[in-house]
This record gives sequence, structure tokens and C-alpha cells, in this order.
Amino acid sequence: MAIKSVLVNLSLSILLITSFASTTAQTVLRVMSSTIVESPEGDVEQAIADAFMAANPDIEIEFIGTPMNDMFQVLTTSAIGGELPDIFTNTAEFSAQAQDLGIAADLNDLFDEDFLAGFYPTAIEEGTVNGELIFLPWFTVPVGVLYRADWFEEAGLAGPQTWDEFVGAAQALTQDTNNDGQNDRWGFAMVGTKNGSGFFRFTHLLRSQGAWELYKDADGNWQSDLGSEGMVNALAIYKELHDAGLVPPGVTETGYGEAVSLMASDKTAMMVTGPHTIGAILAQNPDLEGQIHSVPVPLGVDRSASLGVGGFSVAATSDNKEAAARYLEFLVSTENMLEWNRVTGRMPAQIEAGEQPQISGPVYAGFVEAIQISKPMPQAAFYTQIQEVMGEAYQAVLVGGVSPADAAAEAGVRAAAIIADAE
Amino acid sequence: MALNSNQSLRKTRSVPQRHFNQRQLAGLWFILPAALSLLVIVAYPLLYGFYISLFRTNLLTRWDFRWFQNYIRIFTSADFLQTVFTTLKFTVGAVAGQFVVGLSLALLLNTKVPGRALFRTILIVPWLFPEVVVALLWKWMYNPLYGLFNDILLILNVISEPTSWLGSTATALPSVILTVIWKGYPLVMLLMLAGLQAISQEQYESAEIDGASWWQSFLYITLPNLRNVIMITLILNTVWWFKHFGIVWVLTQGGPINATSVISIDIYKTAFEAFRFGRAAALAVIVFFIVFLISFLYQRFLGGDE
Repeated sequence: MAIKSVLVNLSLSILLITSFASTTAQTVLRVMSSTIVESPEGDVEQAIADAFMAANPDIEIEFIGTPMNDMFQVLTTSAIGGELPDIFTNTAEFSAQAQDLGIAADLNDLFDEDFLAGFYPTAIEEGTVNGELIFLPWFTVPVGVLYRADWFEEAGLAGPQTWDEFVGAAQALTQDTNNDGQNDRWGFAMVGTKNGSGFFRFTHLLRSQGAWELYKDADGNWQSDLGSEGMVNALAIYKELHDAGLVPPGVTETGYGEAVSLMASDKTAMMVTGPHTIGAILAQNPDLEGQIHSVPVPLGVDRSASLGVGGFSVAATSDNKEAAARYLEFLVSTENMLEWNRVTGRMPAQIEAGEQPQISGPVYAGFVEAIQISKPMPQAAFYTQIQEVMGEAYQAVLVGGVSPADAAAEAGVRAAAIIADAE
Repeated sequence: MALNSNQSLRKTRSVPQRHFNQRQLAGLWFILPAALSLLVIVAYPLLYGFYISLFRTNLLTRWDFRWFQNYIRIFTSADFLQTVFTTLKFTVGAVAGQFVVGLSLALLLNTKVPGRALFRTILIVPWLFPEVVVALLWKWMYNPLYGLFNDILLILNVISEPTSWLGSTATALPSVILTVIWKGYPLVMLLMLAGLQAISQEQYESAEIDGASWWQSFLYITLPNLRNVIMITLILNTVWWFKHFGIVWVLTQGGPINATSVISIDIYKTAFEAFRFGRAAALAVIVFFIVFLISFLYQRFLGGDE
């Protein structure tokens, strides 16, 4: 009798334990994100994930923070090591490479057409490679010029519309404010590092001069204008700004983070960047609220703008694709996109959110205008090599004593060799 | 006894054995774990690296066999020769600088200077810091806007305006080398100090009686006695700094332009920015042979008669 009772109790206990285990079994979604390590982005992203987990107790979000400049290297290494997370940050620059590596699932299989129709068509286009939707757009950072509206007003200047006006404003705002014989305020926070942050900004100056770093010609062959007159002009503008002392010393050491700090610490008046920088500047110096305005990238022979779409891919190897789709659908809701914009300045990739009154006013004016004229980034697996050539060219002009013409000629030869090698 | 062993050895060699005896088998079992470990940890990565170097590959979806095309392209590239030259300048600067500083401090610490134990502890501090911390610390000190060096040099009127030490092609490499000397001299100092303390004092006393000066004692007693320690230190240091990555990457990422682009940075960028893993593996194989050659040359010229 005693044995029977023990057996019954044991069976009941096992039943209880297994049923408890089955109800608490969770899908853990590993999300590799670049924004989770940024401020103020990280707090909002974590709050959205927390809200999702509260609404979906069967799914746990586990973030893997990776800085944007290291993202693609880390992703590639993870893929080779068979350690890809379920979801990872992606951009138009890496989409072609992601497809070449076979690491991103086609999101057309996970989301229906009606849902995808809610995004700006250009944003979807930027995330699409050879018909496959490589990443779901989450925000856009159209590039323009952020400037200190209070200083411009004091100097009687308007936001620069052309590169001549840009250089003129930089000259007017470079000053020795404490009269010690040394400039302590500069017109332009130039990002001169040889990395993604530097490449991206120079690309827009280059395109405004009518030259494209990489494009497909009418026959579908890759071409580059890095050896063209437009490249010479773009390099000449950088050189003029640098040699005239209109940028802070150590330009090749000034990366994105340093440039943001220069803006936030009242050291510089202008920066070529996206709206996300507003949030980063205000996080460091809240007193600048309302004093930073935007204009599109100044006019050269052409207008230059890119949408700068950022989003998330679902790993082709993920066993949790359905759960990943649920999380991404929650993430890109209108409400979350607006909150994300409010705190970080990054603009919505979704039409309904983009049409809200929140996305207006002088702070965003330049970026809203940029969205209308944005052009896509080239989607080639060797694009990073072309960017590297561009970086060496502008650094050679800035600190290497090389003339813009010679640097452009060298860049043209190297870009042609990269294209030939890839084909 | 030695003769008997040799005779026995010759006898063994002259009669080929078809089977291992139990004693020999036991020996094989004993060395098996070490041999397997070496095979897995050392031989396999080397051979796999060489295997990859024969392909154009992204290591996942594309494996195009290219024979030795990666090697041919590397050796016919002017960029590669420039990178090797920069790496040699960096390595020679770092190793020579660490050697001079390390040996000088070791000689000082080998005297009866007051507070010797305290100095030893303080002087070893740079070795205890992780490379990334050292690099970030020095990057801050070099900063043209708020760095310590510019502040001091401006106060002393050595410079008239802030200088971008890491942003100029003329000063970037020397600045990186200075950082690396600071980070690496303690190891040299410790090895030299150990070598110095092993030298018999009687030799110095004899030299003193013979009227030798400090310099003559250093030249004819200290240096010859330190020869083996110096050789080992130079080999270890050269191999270590020739393939060094961390400090250079954090300080300059190989820039400005390619002023500090040492070969390890070239390999990293080839693999993880251009995603050309075959070419990166070929570069790594070449580095292996360069380092092997340098070690051989050191042993040839510093190794003595042994």
C-alpha cells in the first residue's frame, strides 16, 4: 500500500514538473543589434523588446550588442563559425554581401504583401537584392547637413544650400572665441576616418559633384567615377576646408563619435550626417534642444541624398523564423517607430509613421527634403573595397600632400581594377 | 657505458624491426596525447590555412580553386611590398626601442639602488595593462584637441599649435612605435635582469682588478654572458611584434592613408572588409615564412657555436 502511494505521488510529481516545464518553455531570440549599444537608442530598443516580451511570454529577446563599424566583420565571422544569431542589423551596403554569403532569409516568405506595402517603396527597394527582401526596414537616416541655427542666426547666415555657401559659412563660424590666438571653434566637423562613417559622408559630397562611386551602366556592367572630374572637385572641397583650418585639428582621427562630441561641446557648427545625430548630440548636451536645424546636402552640380535605411535580417539558419517575424512586426509598428524617432531622431521607414506631424519642423526639414530625392546605394559584394579606395583618396589629399587630381587618378585606376577582379 | 649504448643503437638500426616491443609501444602511448594535441592545435590550423589560400572563397558558399593565383597576385602587388616595408620599420623600431629601454633599466635595477623593489614593481606596470587599454590611454594622450602631450609641448613652447600625432603621415608610425615600446619594455627588462643576475660577480671583480672600465666590463663580460638571453628575447619580440595587431588597430586602424598599415592589419582588412579569405590566408602563410626566416637569421648570427 505504501509502495503504491509512493508511486502515485511520484507519477503526479513528474506530471506536474513536466507540465510546468512545457508551459515555461521559451523561444530565445538572439538579436545582434548595433543600436542597442548606442545612446539614447539602446534604452528605447530595450524598452520595445521588454514590451514585446511582456505581450509574448513564450519569447525571450537576448541582445548581442555590436558597434556598427564592426557589425559586418562580426556577422561574417559568426556565419563562418556557425554562430549566427536569429536576427541581425543590416543595411543596404551589406545586403549584397549578405546574400552572397547566404546568411539572410528572404523576408518575402515571412511577411505578406499588405504588410510590406506599408513601407516607403524606396526603403523596401534598398533592402531587396535580386528579388529577395534581405532586411526589413526599421528606420531611415537620410543624409543632410546639421547646423547650429543659433550661431548661423548670430552671423546673419542661412542654412547652406550650395558648397560655396557651405565653405563660406565654415569660414565665418571658425573663430577664436576666447582671444588666445588659437581657434577654438570650427565651421565643420569633418569625419575623416577611413571607415564606414567617413566613407558614407564623403559619398554624398562626391555624388553632389555628379560622380558616383559605383553604378551599373546601360549594359548592366559596374562602373565607377572615382577617377572623374567630379571626384577631383569633391576632393578639392575637402582639401579647401582642411587647409584653410575650417575643421578641427586631427581630421583623420575624427570619427563619427568624435564629430558628435565636437558638435555637442560647442566646438563645431556643421556636420554632414543623418537625423540620428540629433538624438546623440542632445543626449550629450540637452541645452541644444531646438538649436540644431537641418538642410539637405549642399548642391554641387547635382543634389545628393540617400535614404540610409537600417533594419533587421532574419538569419537563414535560424530555427525561430516565425518568432523572429513576430518580433520584427511588433518592432516596426507605427507607435514604436514614432517613439524611436522622438528619442533618437532616426526617421520612420513606414509611411503611416512618416506622415505624422512629429516628423516636421526646421529640425527635420532638410531630411524630409532629402527623402524626396534619395537615390539607392549600390548593391555589390565588393562595394566595401570601393569605399576603402575612396577613403585612401580623401586621406591622401587631407594629410598626404597629394593633389586632388593625382588622388582621383589613382582612385580611378584602383576602382577599375577592383571591378575587373570582381567580374 | 656510452660506447655500449652506441653499439646497441647501431645494432638496432642495422636490423630493421617489424614489430614494436611492449616497452616501445608504451612509449608511443605516452607521447600520443602530446602528439595529437600538437596535430590538432598547431598542424591542422596551419595546413587548413594553406588549403584556404589556394581558393577564392567566402568560406561559406563559394569555393573556387585557384592554385597559387593568390600568391602570384600578392607578390606582384606593390601594395604588399609597401606593407612589408612598413611592418619591418614598425618591428625594428619596436624591438630595438624595447631592447634599449629594457636593457638600460635592467642594468639600473641590477645595481644597489635604494628602493629597488619598488622600482621593479612600478616599471612592470605597463606589461600588466591589456593592449586595448594601453592603446586607448595613449590615443587620448596623443589627441590634438585635449591630449596631454600637446598641452605639455604647448606650455613648453616646443610646438606653436596642436599637432595631430596620429593623423600625420610623418608622425603616426613613430607615435605607434613609442606606444608599443612603453607596452613591451617590461618583458625585455625582466628577461635581461634575470640574465644579469646569473652572471658571476667574480668576473666583474677580476676585471676591476685588471683595471677595466665600466664600459669594458659591459662590452666584454655583460654582453657575452647575456648572448643567449638576448637572442631569445629578440626572437620572441620580433615574432610577437611582426604580427602585432591590437595596439596599431586601436590607435590608427592602419592610417592615415597607409602610414601604419602593418601586415596584420592588411590581413584583417582583406579577410573581414574585402571578404577575400583566400588571399588573406595566403598573406598569413607568407607571414609565417617571413617570421620563420627572421628566427633562423637570428639563430644563425647570434646563436654562437652551439
